[in-house]
Amino acid sequence: MAVTAQVQALTKKVRAGAYLTEKGLSLLEVKDQLLLMYLMDLSHLILEKASGGSLQGHAAVLRLVEIRTVLEKLRPLDQKLKYQIDKLVKTAVTGSLSENDPLRFKPHPSNMMSKLSSEDEEEVEAEEGQSGASGKKSANGTVKKYVPPRLVPVHYDETEAEREKKRLDRAKRRALSSSVIRELKEQYSDAPEEIRDARHPHVTRQSQEDQHRINYEESMMVRLSVSKREKGRRKRANVMSSQLHSLTHFSDISALTGGTPHLDEDQNPIKKRKKIPKNSRKKKESNCLNLVSLLEHPHARLHLPFVVA
Amino acid sequence: MNDTLTIWTKKFMTNRSLQWKQMVMDVLHPGKAMVPETEIWEKLAKMYKVTPDVTFLFGFRTHFSGGKTIGFGMIYDSLDYTKENEPKHRLARHGLYEKKETSRKQQKELKNRMKKARGLQRPMLCCQKERLQIHR
Repeated sequence: MAVTAQVQALTKKVRAGAYLTEKGLSLLEVKDQLLLMYLMDLSHLILEKASGGSLQGHAAVLRLVEIRTVLEKLRPLDQKLKYQIDKLVKTAVTGSLSENDPLRFKPHPSNMMSKLSSEDEEEVEAEEGQSGASGKKSANGTVKKYVPPRLVPVHYDETEAEREKKRLDRAKRRALSSSVIRELKEQYSDAPEEIRDARHPHVTRQSQEDQHRINYEESMMVRLSVSKREKGRRKRANVMSSQLHSLTHFSDISALTGGTPHLDEDQNPIKKRKKIPKNSRKKKESNCLNLVSLLEHPHARLHLPFVVA
Repeated sequence: MNDTLTIWTKKFMTNRSLQWKQMVMDVLHPGKAMVPETEIWEKLAKMYKVTPDVTFLFGFRTHFSGGKTIGFGMIYDSLDYTKENEPKHRLARHGLYEKKETSRKQQKELKNRMKKARGLQRPMLCCQKERLQIHR
């Protein structure tokens, strides 16, 4: 009795327009109410079934179906609001914005002003006259090594020692990526052994570049010209993959071991002396001199006949 | 027409502003050298139900060891659009454009003569050149 009285009072109020809905209902409220109604109808049906009644054409079934459809239609709306709701909840729980919140990265004009005193500012600006970045000052960030822009040609004075050091560095890097060192690394590392059908790293690199070029050509409908250097690289990559070169030839790792660089006879044959035309051929003495210079060549191997005394 | 000639088209795109359809073409010709252009025109025209005179091909490269060639193709909506939009060297391949054979030496001589002339005497030199050509 009290329930019906309450319900009647509510319906009277609704009909009188006591509850304003011109601004719409909150999605979360609607969801809550719908879920509650769903549960009530479901429990009513269970009661019916438990007392032995039939559910055929029951009004509650239709109501259930209707509520279910509405809930499913609300799901995309829910998705769209998910971000906002999560952020609100997080802010409510923690009390402040999270670290990754993009709202934290709004511009700070105060950081653009120089914090140095006025004299220092003038000095700095005079020095920076040549460089292009005169007015910019970074707001925050680590101090990076200053790289001057290349505007005017500068005298090149690299000493012999520096050149030697650079050469050594390059040789070391090349030696580190050679097959011998790689196998040693695999032997002593704890990582599981990977068996890959991998080709020589130069070959894979070249094939990747080729693929990139082909993709570009097909999407832009143009043909790109191939420079001599590219042609040479491509040829070398093809040759490398077709020979059993890597079985017997190992790259030079003397940069790491500290020995003298030894060159493979097959890879780097001694260049033969150029044939001088007969007219300009000099006298015997100069020929002897040439012979002496050949003997002095570090890789010379002259097969002199043994003279048995 | 070869029986074993196969054409696959990829990356097909219609360009409405320049009134053409462009595509990448894979021509398969196993066991033979590359077929002449005219056969590919006809095949392409049949595939897209146009006349072969609006089909243009360029950029064909044969892969190593033969059998497959990849190039680009264009099909125009009509002959008028081809005359507008297509570059002259490709029109020349269809015979729709004739390149003027100018002698480089003569051009340079004329230019040097014009440098010496002043004002209205320059167009006189040009007419002189035409008179010379008619004589030849």
